[in-house]
Amino acid sequence: MSEGIDVGSPDEIEEGTAKVVEPEDSGVDEPIAVFHTESGCFFALNDTCTHEEASLAEGWIEGDTVECPLHSSSFDLRTGKVLCLPATVDEPTHKVTVENGRVVLYPGVPADDAARTAD
Amino acid sequence: MAAFSAASELRARGYDGALTLLSPEGLPYDRPPLSKGYLLGSEDAAKIVLAPEDWYAEHGVEVLTERAAALRPSEASVELGNGRTLGADRVLIATGARPRPLAVPGGEAALTLRDRADADALRAALAPGARVVVVGAGLIGAEVTSAAVGFGAEVTLVDPIDPPLVPAVGEALARRLHEMHGEHGVRTVASVPVEIAASDGGACLVRLAGGSAVAADAIVAGIGIVPNSALAADAGIEVDDGVLVDASGATSNPGVFAAGDVSRLRHPDGALARRAEHWEAAVRSGQAAAAGMLGEPAPEFGAPWFWSDRYGAHVEAVGTLDARSAGRIVLREADGLPQAAFLLADDGRLLGAAAVGFPLLIRAARRIMDRGLAPDPAALADPSVPPRKLIH
Repeated sequence: MSEGIDVGSPDEIEEGTAKVVEPEDSGVDEPIAVFHTESGCFFALNDTCTHEEASLAEGWIEGDTVECPLHSSSFDLRTGKVLCLPATVDEPTHKVTVENGRVVLYPGVPADDAARTAD
Repeated sequence: MAAFSAASELRARGYDGALTLLSPEGLPYDRPPLSKGYLLGSEDAAKIVLAPEDWYAEHGVEVLTERAAALRPSEASVELGNGRTLGADRVLIATGARPRPLAVPGGEAALTLRDRADADALRAALAPGARVVVVGAGLIGAEVTSAAVGFGAEVTLVDPIDPPLVPAVGEALARRLHEMHGEHGVRTVASVPVEIAASDGGACLVRLAGGSAVAADAIVAGIGIVPNSALAADAGIEVDDGVLVDASGATSNPGVFAAGDVSRLRHPDGALARRAEHWEAAVRSGQAAAAGMLGEPAPEFGAPWFWSDRYGAHVEAVGTLDARSAGRIVLREADGLPQAAFLLADDGRLLGAAAVGFPLLIRAARRIMDRGLAPDPAALADPSVPPRKLIH
């Protein structure tokens, strides 16, 4: 699926937090977390940690990383790469852009780069 | 875990020589689930491997399901259980530990939990209605008790200390955690077993100090671990309740390193640390030993961290909550229930934090400690202050 989904306006996701897009809205199998970093970038990864059942959207978001709230594995928000144990498997990324003042998620389309808020 | 962590770190640091992992049980797996999801049956053996088979091929790590029979550091080799000899310029001992046996008459009847086979045997014993006596209410004992309750067993939990875990999570959370057992129908007894006697129909009678006795279809002991240090001792390496190592995992033999539960840190002044038995310590000591084996300085690590789960509650702690030597405890409570405890030093720095169900508080605390910040005690105590706002 490559059609974009309107996730909301940029300020609906507070900086340093994330919003989860459920499979029934995205059309892909896994929930997706759309992260808004403190530097104003948007990224999206699969929401469920690759280690165990935990929502990365509820994790600690700092810089361009998210730390899982369950066992503290960290993932690079840009690339989905796992940065530390216990997870050993990367997270799939999804493309997010900011278009006409809306955050748009492309479920299943790998990210090429971060979408920035207008600056 | 320590061996896997070391192998992974060796490759991350650019080591490109031969790397062999002796792992009698096959692909290394994660132990924390053995008393949690794997024991409950919600995670299977494939789910708990540390990395899939491809990872070992991709990282050039050969896994042999062989045991090391003897170390021959002077010959730069290791003798395997099958009689083969393997050349090795550097050897890492990550043989872990075994459960401490229940040292009372009849104590050999007690099940213990350390590896996958133990968890399988334990799961079979935790039948609905089975009378289970768990000896030791530390993290393993509490997790096994919680799993047993989940299976519908009738559990008696025996520990002389009430509540346990005070140095790890502080008095208030230790009390709250221990009370969860009673809330889930577990009988907690502050005592110790003195004898396990055979009873009718394959059952046992656990006699406790003080004269009472509890009938049991299964007994589980979670009373600590004993390091598997014989391999090192036989090779003439210094051992004292663990293989003695420095911060780089180096043992008294320059070709041999140790990491994980089998290792025990000796400080530069000669003082011996308590053996660190948590998951994270195995990861970190494996990484440190990898650096040591390559002749590189050991990485700096922050305060130690652990997690545990019982009755669906997720417990985490970082640093120490042991207020006996220094500091004061600040509690965060809501509706009369403690959510988190913080130990503050006299100069205001944070020495440790523990929480039941608020993992971001622990992530905030870890950062506060790593950065040497002095948090506002009122904010720590206020449940309306979000974790991120504690860092300023």
